Amino acid sequence: MTPVRRFLCAWLVSLPLAWDSCGVQAAFSQAMDSDFTLNLPAGRKECFYQTMKRDASMEIEYQVLDGAGLDVDFSIFSPSGQLLFNDQRKSDGVHTVETEDGDYMFCFDNTFSTVSDKLVFFELILDNMDTDEDPENWKEYVHGIDTLDMKLEDIMDTINNVKARLSKSVQIQTLLRAFEARDRNIQESNFERVNFWSVVNLVVMVMVSGVQVYLVRSLFEDKKKIRT
Amino acid sequence: MLASFLLLSWISSISALYFHIGETEKKCFIEEIPDETMVIGKYRTQLWDKQSGSFLPATPGLGMHVEIKDPDTKIILSRQYGSDGRFTFTSHTPGEHQICLHSNSTKMALFAGGKLRVHLDIQVGEHTNNYPEIAAKDKLTELQLRVRQLLDQVEQIQKEQNYQRYREERFRMTSESTNQRVLWWSITQTLILIITGIWQMKHLKSFFEAKKLV
Repeated sequence: MTPVRRFLCAWLVSLPLAWDSCGVQAAFSQAMDSDFTLNLPAGRKECFYQTMKRDASMEIEYQVLDGAGLDVDFSIFSPSGQLLFNDQRKSDGVHTVETEDGDYMFCFDNTFSTVSDKLVFFELILDNMDTDEDPENWKEYVHGIDTLDMKLEDIMDTINNVKARLSKSVQIQTLLRAFEARDRNIQESNFERVNFWSVVNLVVMVMVSGVQVYLVRSLFEDKKKIRT
Repeated sequence: MLASFLLLSWISSISALYFHIGETEKKCFIEEIPDETMVIGKYRTQLWDKQSGSFLPATPGLGMHVEIKDPDTKIILSRQYGSDGRFTFTSHTPGEHQICLHSNSTKMALFAGGKLRVHLDIQVGEHTNNYPEIAAKDKLTELQLRVRQLLDQVEQIQKEQNYQRYREERFRMTSESTNQRVLWWSITQTLILIITGIWQMKHLKSFFEAKKLV
């Protein structure tokens, strides 16, 4: 690291909010949108926590992708332990929370099911988490002189606009992917069911016809052996 | 006190999702991604300290074992990292990859009562690009950099769309195969019933005739 950057780092260490050169490389920070898919075993409850700041907003969207019944219990608790939302046996849901400072807890509950695991997908969309400047402050890394500053601002606005719309596209894509995964899982379980029960049906039919014939024949067995 | 607070806030996450796992517990996440997509996962662990009643940074010896399986359940990454770690992999086949984490605690399951708090962040695709680095390497102006970022974003969307098309094709094949099987099975079942009925009647008729009852 050059001395200038080292000094910058040292100076910036003293700032609690580290959304800068050192921050991006060294501090642990979460992207604004993140999604997770996990397998929730039968009879288990899994909880996740998210640290939030005041006056930000958090949107949680969840879907059950696989598992008989495709339902799960969902609940959100505020940092003070108060229950904000409670969904019973829903297969998907979306909730938005205007946040205060603290750790929010949300839980997926599969305790009502004794045999089937559930595959749960959830997406967290955080807004207004950064109360200060634009996080992508790459200005110190770029080269070149930007003349025509006024026009540049317009172009920048357009680019930011396009970026926001593309992010929305990505979000919708993620959602569609989750729906498709769920439908696919339903179809695959259909397929397996059809196969299994067809074979069972065949075996039962053959056995029953054999047993029927045998029984009828045995009714007319030679009774002489019994009478004596 | 202030120094440690500042130090903690520099190191600590501002907004990370975290969850609790037992010391010997294994937690798995599934990521469905197209091929040739890079995934970066970052985690930070804290250990529950009974005396102070809070979570403290984990002891240096306690690390996490990360195991990543590809859609064919082949292990593509199986490594141990420290209590704070960063793992990365690139997918070569599209599909559901499984990312599993468990701590490398050697205690037996019954005696390990410790609880671990794991902060986790998984970033996929174009979110993994480090733009300051790209700007420095290719010597881009800010405008070029932003346009480059848009291009990366669009490329990722396109990849995802291609993957979705591949998935939908498989889905359609499964559906059509199920549909065909249902049809064939119904016809076969009807035929078997008819044939069995005819055979039964013939057999019993000849049986009764042999027994001189008819």
